[in-house]
This record gives sequence, C-alpha cells and structure tokens, in this order.
Amino acid sequence: MTDHLLTVEHLRTTFKTAGGDLPAVNDITFTLDNNETLGIVGESGSGKTVLARTIMGLQGTRNATITGSVVINGAQVVGATEDEKRKIWASDVSMIFQDPMTSLNPVIRVGKQVDETLRVLQGLSKEDAMKRGIELLGLVGIPSPEERYRAFPGELSGGMRQRVVIAAALACSPKLLLADEPTTGLDVTIQAQILNLLDELKEKMGMSVILITHDLGVVATRTSRIIVMYAGRIVEMGSTDVVFKHHRMPYTRALLESAPKVSNPSHTRLTTIPGRPPNLLALDSGCAFAPRCAYATDKCRNERPELQASEYEGHMFACWNPITTDRGAN
Amino acid sequence: MENDTVNDQTTPIEHVGSTTLEKPEKKAPLGVLFWVSVGWVGLNIFLAIVANFLPLIDPLALNPNISNAGPSLHHFFGTDEFGRDILSRVIFGSRISIAVSFGALFIGFSIGSPLAMLASLRRGRFDKALTTFMYSLLAFPGIIATISILSFWIPRNLFKVTLVIGLFTIPLVYRVVRTASLAVASKEFVIAAQIQGAKDGRILFKEILPNITPIMVSFVLIGVAGVVALEGALAFLGLSINPPTPSWGNMINESRTILSTDPWLALFPSIVLVLFIVSLNFIGDRLRNYFDVAEVKI
Amino acid sequence: MENKEPLLKVRNLVVEFGTKARRVSAVAGIDLDLYEGETLGIVGESGCGKSTTGKAIMRILEATSGTIEISGVDISQMDKKTLRKARTSMQMIFQDPVSSLNPRRRIKDIVAEPIDCWDPKRADRDEVVIKLLNAVGIDPDVYGNRYARQFSGGQCQRIAIARALAMHPKIIICDEMVSALDVSIQAQILNLLEDLKAEYGLTLLFIAHDLAVVKNVSDRVAVMYLGKICEIGPADQLYESPSHPYTKFLLGAALEADPDSAKHDEVLTGEPPSPMHPPSGCRFRTRCPNATQKCADEVPLPQAVGVGHEVACHYPLTITRK
Repeated sequence: MTDHLLTVEHLRTTFKTAGGDLPAVNDITFTLDNNETLGIVGESGSGKTVLARTIMGLQGTRNATITGSVVINGAQVVGATEDEKRKIWASDVSMIFQDPMTSLNPVIRVGKQVDETLRVLQGLSKEDAMKRGIELLGLVGIPSPEERYRAFPGELSGGMRQRVVIAAALACSPKLLLADEPTTGLDVTIQAQILNLLDELKEKMGMSVILITHDLGVVATRTSRIIVMYAGRIVEMGSTDVVFKHHRMPYTRALLESAPKVSNPSHTRLTTIPGRPPNLLALDSGCAFAPRCAYATDKCRNERPELQASEYEGHMFACWNPITTDRGAN
Repeated sequence: MENDTVNDQTTPIEHVGSTTLEKPEKKAPLGVLFWVSVGWVGLNIFLAIVANFLPLIDPLALNPNISNAGPSLHHFFGTDEFGRDILSRVIFGSRISIAVSFGALFIGFSIGSPLAMLASLRRGRFDKALTTFMYSLLAFPGIIATISILSFWIPRNLFKVTLVIGLFTIPLVYRVVRTASLAVASKEFVIAAQIQGAKDGRILFKEILPNITPIMVSFVLIGVAGVVALEGALAFLGLSINPPTPSWGNMINESRTILSTDPWLALFPSIVLVLFIVSLNFIGDRLRNYFDVAEVKI
Repeated sequence: MENKEPLLKVRNLVVEFGTKARRVSAVAGIDLDLYEGETLGIVGESGCGKSTTGKAIMRILEATSGTIEISGVDISQMDKKTLRKARTSMQMIFQDPVSSLNPRRRIKDIVAEPIDCWDPKRADRDEVVIKLLNAVGIDPDVYGNRYARQFSGGQCQRIAIARALAMHPKIIICDEMVSALDVSIQAQILNLLEDLKAEYGLTLLFIAHDLAVVKNVSDRVAVMYLGKICEIGPADQLYESPSHPYTKFLLGAALEADPDSAKHDEVLTGEPPSPMHPPSGCRFRTRCPNATQKCADEVPLPQAVGVGHEVACHYPLTITRK
C-alpha cells in the first residue's frame, strides 16, 4: 500500500447546496504507480473534475465536506494545512486545466508565470528561476524561448498557451501530473501535438500522468489504465485494452458506441443512451445508471452494485447484469 | 446475458427520466424587509393621492399662537414657525416629491428607452450619432444645468420643475437601457428571430424588452429615489415649488433658520424623505435579484 | 453526379474584415454547390472560415463580394425587405443551444415564432407546434409551456431544430450544432437530425470541426483551411483516400476510440499562419512537407481527382480514376 505513488481511499466530496447534499465524488478508491498513465473518463456531471481538484487539494471546504484519504508520495492531502499542501505542490504533484486562457494571467508575462512556482515554492533566485524558465519553455517546444519568455498570453495561440501552462506545471519536476481536459477546445492537429508532447515529457521526466477527459479517443492510445466514472462513482476500471475490448458495464459500452467514428461509413446509425445524466441531488437507491440502462432489472433499481473483479487482472466493474460478449471487431 | 445492442432510438426519448423539469423553478426570496419597504412606499403614495379626503388640518392654515409646538395629540408632528400643522404639510408635501419624481422618470423613460432599444438593434450610424449625442449630454453636469434653468425660469410650477429634471434624466435612461439592450441584442436568439423574418419592432418587443424589463424596473425605482432627493435639494436651495405650497424639500429649507427652537420641522420631513428613498432603493435592488434569471444549468 | 441545378450556388465568396491597414481575410474566394436532399459537411480547424461562410450565406454578416444563389435567385445584394422574405427558405441552428433561445419565452411561442411572423392568422398554429415538438422528442403537453431557461443543452438544441423546421425551409445551416453537447447527447441529436432529414426532405449544410461527426451526417464533405477549400468530395471516398496533404494530416490527428489504432507520428507541426498575412500561392504551403516554389507562386485551382471529388493542390496525393 505504501509503495504506490498515489493512493486514494474511500474519497468523498459532498457539496452542501440549497437542495441538499450533493455527493459529487462518492467513495472513490484507486492507486497509481510511478511511470503510469491513467485515464479518467466521464461525461459532465460524472464528478471527474471535482475528483481531480480534490486529489490535488484544491477543493475548498467552505461548502463541501471531504472525507477519505489521498496520499501522494507518502503525504496525506485530505485535511492538510495550506503549508503542507504547498510542500506537496512544490515537489510531488502538479495540475493543468482545460482552458489555457483562464489558467494564465493575461497581464503578466508568460515567463514570469512559469517560474513563479520556482521562486515561491522552491525559493530560487530571480536569475536562476529565469534560466530554468527559459529551459522549460524550450522543453515544451516553444520556438525562441528567450524571446517568448517576455510575451503576454494574449500574443500566443491556443496551442502555445497550453504549452506554457504545461511548462509552468513541470517547473518543480512533479512526480504526478493531473491533466484536466488538457486538449478540449483545441484544434485537432494541435491536440495531437500537445498529447504527443505530454507523452515525451512523461518519458523524459519520469512522471505519472492522470488524463481526465470525456473523449475516449484521447485515452485510447495514450493510457495504460482507465477509470470510467458515472454519477460520482467508479463504474468500471482496468487496463485500457481490457476496458475497451472486454468491458462489462453497459454504460461503458454505450459510451464507446455513441461516439461517431472516422472509420465508420457515413450515415452510420449511432447507438444512443436514452435520457440524461442523473440529478445527483435526487439519486434513488440502486444503480445510478439504471433509469437509462437497457438491461436494468428490479435488482438494479433497488440495490446498488459494488465493484467486482472479472476474469481479467486488475479489471473491476459495478453491474448486476454485465455484458458478457465482447465488442465486435471494427 | 442478452444480446449486446443497446436499444435503437426511434421513439421520443425525453419522456425518460427528465429530472430537473419536474420541480417548479425556485426564485430568490424577497424577504420581510422588502414587503415592509413596499408597504411604506405604498402608504406614502396612497396618502398623497387621497390627501384631500383625509381629515387633515388645512396645511396652509396659519395659527401663530401655537407656532413651533412639539408633537401633541392635535398636531402629531407638531407645528412650524407659522403654526401650520407639520403632519398635514408632510402628507401634502409628498405629492410634490412623488409627482415630480415619477413624472420626471416617465419623461426620461418614454423618450430614452425606445431610442436606446432601437439604437442597440440597428447599430451603425444611427446608433453612433445618437449615442455620441447622449453621452455628450451626460458629460455636461446636469445638476448645474437644472439649477441654472430653474433659477431664471420663474414663476416655477410643478410642470416646469418636472420637465427640466425629466429632460436631464433622458441621457441617463438612454445609457442604462442601451447597455442592457446591447447585451441582449448580441445574443443568438435575436439573430435567430431576425432570420425567421421578425421585423425590428417585433424583435424589440418580444425578444429584447422581456429580457431588460427587470433592469429597467429596478432603475426606475432607483431613479425615482434619486429625483426625490434632487427635488429636495432644489427646494432646499429655493429652486423648487414656491412656498406656501409645502414640499419635503422646502420644509427642510425653512427649518434651517429655526433648528434650535423647532427641530420638529426639520426632523419629520427628513425622516419621511430618507425612509422613502431607502425603501425605493431596497425594492429596486431586491427586484433585480429576484428577476435575475440564472440561465439553464446543466 | 447531379445533372440538375444546385439548390444553393455560392460563387467566389469573399469575406474580409477590418480596416484597409489591417485586413483579415476570413474567406478567400470559395465556390460551393449544395444539391437538394443532400448534406454537405464543411470541416476545418479554428480560423479556417467555415462558420464565417455559413453566416455569410445566411447574410448574418455581409460578404465582401461573391454571389449566393438559392434556387437561382441571387440573395447576396438583396435589400433588407426582400431578404426578409427570402430568408424563410433558409434557417440556421447555432452552436450554443442555450443562448439561441430567449430564456424568458415559453418554448411553444419560440417554436411558433416564424408562423406568427408570416402567417399570424393560421388556424392550425397550435397543432403545428405540437407536431414539431413531438417530432423532436419533447412532450408538448408536459413541457410546452415551460420557459426556455428550464431546459438542458440537448433539449434546447431539439427546440432549436423544431423552430428551424416550422416554416419548412429549403436549406438548414447547422453551425457547430453539437459541439457544445456531451457525447451521449450528441449521438441523440445526430440520430434525430438524420430522421428528420428523411421525414422532411431537408437539405443541410453541416459545419463542424469534429471529423467523425461530420462524416457521420454528410454525403459530401468540404475541407477548409485559412479561408480556402482544399478538398471536396464524397464523404467515404474523401476519408478513405484523402487527396490534399492537409486532409491527410487532419485525418491522422483524429483520435479514434480504439487502443489498437496506429499512433500517427507524422503530426502537423507549427501553427496556422495569421489570416492577416496569408501565404502567397497555396495557403497551406508553409506547413506542407511537399511544398515547392510552384506552390508559392501559383494559387492551386480545384482539379478533379475522382467522381465528384476535387482538390486544390499542385501535387494531389491520390487520384482515383473511375
């Protein structure tokens, strides 16, 4: 247990809202080792972003209660003080967010934002921080980093800005990088560049990466393990290959089949999931996916399924009526 | 267990599990203070309207024997230096304040809003010209202009005071309404309405107006409060309705010289005036929150 | 492919913004034909001009030059009054479903708006609205009187579709209409669109940046880059054997939800040039591995490389002979 880079146990983040308690993250347990890439997949409302923020320690406790445990490289994040969290951020974990324009302060030069962590968290001098900052900008593939160091975010394109955000995240050489929808909103060709860049950096710096996204295409070829989330819980997890090809949970299948594919002929009928993601304030007992599931039985509606193992190693799913046949070849 | 095709969707699927639409919409609560403020404003307006029919002492009746008297059973608010009953003068005086403020805002809105809404929809040269004109009027200090005009346009009456103040509220209304309309006019549903063949008038009325009404209502109320205060200030300077007609402002003006002997003349009209302004502001603010429609969650 | 006249004929469409000093060339002269009953997809990355094209065709923004003919009638120079009438044959569905509906109006009224504008005394107005809402999968009895703000993104898009159908337009332009929706909702809307297209005999111009989505709904696809059409052809053929190098890179970058799909190492490098200073000749030449001097000197004109398949490139990658 203590050997893992990241250990999450029974993590729960519950928001206090006017309508009642909203369990955005509902009993999540998983681990991550060094040099692994994990994908967390879910639609809006699945809780994946709240999970990322909670793991990072960014989730405020003013209107949310967090219980459970998040241990990164031996340090506990849940309940840690601001100073303790800063120590963890300085050396172990870093995060990049979806919209590069709002992650960067538009009135501060790009270089300063990159070496801010170096100066504040690691106490480097201005000159040393600047040197390292320029190095980092080069590392993420920004041409002429000495000049670009003095640029403002508005002068850079979306792809460039995301690279700057990555550079800032890597400044303290974290062992774990959380990437929340890092390529959503970017052009397809730029997406490919950024994802390749993340792969390269992962190798070079020996990091583990958690890729959080709604896009199955992003995780298909770049992760070794996947977690599928629905309504705040893990409904399936395992190695990427197994989850894509031998999944058991109908939601996973529906998710895979509802996305149109470039390889399918035009006018292919898409498989849809009826209804909409559930209202977390009014969850009934039983499986959260039951109202939309084609295989739901009374047991599904009354009793919530726990995660159980399948015949594949490391593969777990939560379903009373799992799919037993594998997905047809494309 | 069974085959592995999730059901093919040919039937309408919104019947399944639509949760958020089941509950009626919850709006921000208005609160007790809101209703108290409404009550106060309503009371003032009501009394102003029916003043003639109330069993009040004649506000102009002079009674030098009991001048500067404090509150008593006969004179609830006491008397002023001419022995006139303060309570009835406050009530009759409210007519001036209310008439001038609502009248001025009416002038401002009836001219300012349609121009602003039209400018926000049409844009182009019409908008540029009109807006430049209005903004340059705003740059000119309206209060000084009001004071100057009212100084020499005598004899003053209700109509003249209302008209002058009203004219200077037009650019203020224009600015607020135009800003609000622009925010709405740039939204896609307005473009959609244009594409569907709606004429400008229909768009202004059906698409833009309902979305700016909350802001307008709240601005009217705050504007009324402002004009009541302005009229009070003008009266204080002797530039509003001439005595002996009472108004809150000129009563406070008269009380200046006799403050040490007869504080009642200053006190009651001031309290009533302040409460009226504060209530209007409060109502305007609360209404704005109440109508602040949070757009779809999801 | 088609011998009859296209329903929508766009020739030499140019859209430029800005002052003389700083001129942005958003659309740099494109030709489009849209035939009745087909779905033409326009795909490209941000800044390619696809949305601008859609808006210029609808005359939501004014084109700098070019002709736009619908059933033979040129609408590009029409005055406001005549345009109003002409617009009933074209409708548009927008990217953000929530801001495309007036939050303070009931959806029954929103859908009936075109009828109220053109045929206010229509006897069966209410029945038409009921029929439309049912057709898009929203129960009119339960939800008809609700305000637009009470609906989710997917539902709002359905209402927008119902509204677009109210006057039975000849052409519907879909501008990134599913980009803001979750994958599972997107699938519902795309299936719905296909069903309605069949039922109402619609002709669609589908603009999007997602390659898979565009292929799924389109018969033919046009690929745009920096204001120009690089390639246009039948969907299956274009995706199977792309002829323009940009199309190939675009397809290579598409992320397939399949762990076995080959990871493409030839990633398109660099950034798109600024539309204020587009490269001379072929606009893609600054990032194209096959570019030569000819590409800088001559603007490539569309040439046929297959049936109904044209490419604007001096060195097309594939030529399918038929």
